[in-house]
Amino acid sequence: MIAPYLVLLTAFGIIPVIVAAITSMEPSTLNPGGGPLNYLQALQDFRFLPALGNVGIFLLLYVPSMLIVVALMSLLLDAVRGRWNLPLRLAYIVPASLTGATSVLVWYFLLEPTLSPYKDVLHALGITQGGQIWTSGNLAWIFALMAFFTGAGNWIVVQYGSLQSISDDILEAARIDGANAWQIGWHIKLPLIKKYLVYMGILVFAAGLQVFVEPQLISSSVYPGLASNWSLNQLSYSFAFQSNNLGGAAALSLMLLIVCIIGAVFVIFRTDFFEGSGVKEK
Amino acid sequence: MTTAVETRPIIDRATAHVEMPEKRNTAGRVGHTAVWIVLLVYGLLSVIPMVWLLIAPSKNATQLNSDNPFSFGSFANYGAAWEHLLTFQNGVIIQWLVNSVVYSFAIVVLSCVSAILAGYALAATAIPFKRTLLIVTLVAMIIPPVALVIPLFIEISTLQLFDTPAAVILTSSFYPFGVFLAYIYFTTSIPKELYEAAKVDGAGEFTTFWRIALPLSKGLFGMLAFFSFSATWVNYFLPYVLLGSAENYTLPVGLGVLFSSTPALNPGNGAQQSVIGRPEIALAGLIVAIPILIVFLLSSRLLVRGVLAGSVKS
Repeated sequence: MIAPYLVLLTAFGIIPVIVAAITSMEPSTLNPGGGPLNYLQALQDFRFLPALGNVGIFLLLYVPSMLIVVALMSLLLDAVRGRWNLPLRLAYIVPASLTGATSVLVWYFLLEPTLSPYKDVLHALGITQGGQIWTSGNLAWIFALMAFFTGAGNWIVVQYGSLQSISDDILEAARIDGANAWQIGWHIKLPLIKKYLVYMGILVFAAGLQVFVEPQLISSSVYPGLASNWSLNQLSYSFAFQSNNLGGAAALSLMLLIVCIIGAVFVIFRTDFFEGSGVKEK
Repeated sequence: MTTAVETRPIIDRATAHVEMPEKRNTAGRVGHTAVWIVLLVYGLLSVIPMVWLLIAPSKNATQLNSDNPFSFGSFANYGAAWEHLLTFQNGVIIQWLVNSVVYSFAIVVLSCVSAILAGYALAATAIPFKRTLLIVTLVAMIIPPVALVIPLFIEISTLQLFDTPAAVILTSSFYPFGVFLAYIYFTTSIPKELYEAAKVDGAGEFTTFWRIALPLSKGLFGMLAFFSFSATWVNYFLPYVLLGSAENYTLPVGLGVLFSSTPALNPGNGAQQSVIGRPEIALAGLIVAIPILIVFLLSSRLLVRGVLAGSVKS
């Protein structure tokens, strides 16, 4: 019964990694000899450090804001149970339907001062042309904003769900001891959902490290070249499709993949998130 | 939902034995109002982009610029924008729509069936290397799918599947998250005795699955299909890299093509006259977003129950 999945796992989970590992050793015009030099050349490419810097700043903005806002909003949401709770949750998951290419499109409009729903705010800030916003210095902020709005709402609802699993007895006991709503949120609920937040943090970090669609679409359309080779994945894409350097592309992809695998292994073995799921030895 | 009724008096009682109950109560009320304001403002910020996108195609390009952002134009403009979209490369958008539907359907079926079978096998049957398989599945689940795109491209080109629907369908059907959800479901929600009883009665593994486990997993199937569909429908990077010709593209990739070929978003894109303006782009974006929105709203019950909480608690 496990056979169909086993085939898919092998074919599209394991073999690609092996193929990439082999490819990453192959010669290219840049490196006729092949071998591990591909890795070094990928790291030494003049576009690598800027891309690493961009993604680093992006992650610094994106991951902490996700953690803080999602924790805060789910606690607030949990504090107001009642019939308005459900409509709020529905509203929060709406932005998740605007992802990828649609997210880029919508944010292009939102940040376009001539027709944005926020145009009054933008005008008040002295922004009358899209070009004032779309500058290379602002890109990390813009992409973080896009990624944040796409993902935060869903996570708020998911974390709200984990807050529901806290037993009423614990909360009751805290109230009898005189704890107010803020104290209960900070000292009791937050620590209890900490592992879910850590899990989310790592997932969000791993996804953010791989940022691609937003910069790629913006530079291939609206603002040509503005964000070309902005992220590490774009660079890897350029190696493969523009420089015809599959070895370098595979090498860079593998290095990014390894960072993600380390994150994954950390979640599995160093947090108690998967406790009881049969993964850890008893 | 009754919890609201029982928490209020308790909170009041808790604050009542502090020295200045009146002042505390006012503070509590101010705090409560502040919480509501934050929640509502965030709710507004969440729906504004979608509301705007819903009404944008009701206006023509001039109205989009001059009218109030939230004013409604006319229903006729949706039709006009759609007609304009149809003129783009001889109505290729219809092909993208069909592709998206066909690919997504095939992927949801393949990914869910393989995930349910594997989840059950891991949970209820004796298979070798079970723990290793689980760990590999978890690692694959945590790694973002984007991380494998370039390696998959290399593999798919080697297999000569580049630019075929199969390239997208097969690679996207690998669904470790679904396997893990199914595994957790079959280990926690269905008592082990049930499987064992069936086996004692002489049923084989597959009969047990078919007669006992499957009828009990309608909810699981819904959840798996939900996650699979919502990831697949909007996927951009993978089809973008694995497909080469416009007639094989999916809607999100096609949206990118529309983006880059219209002067409406970027006047610098050339002087060519195009009927694809901002309302048309907005309508195309809406066509991508609407199915996801509908699926989300329909599945809100699943989300409410708390995906993580329900699935990972041992």
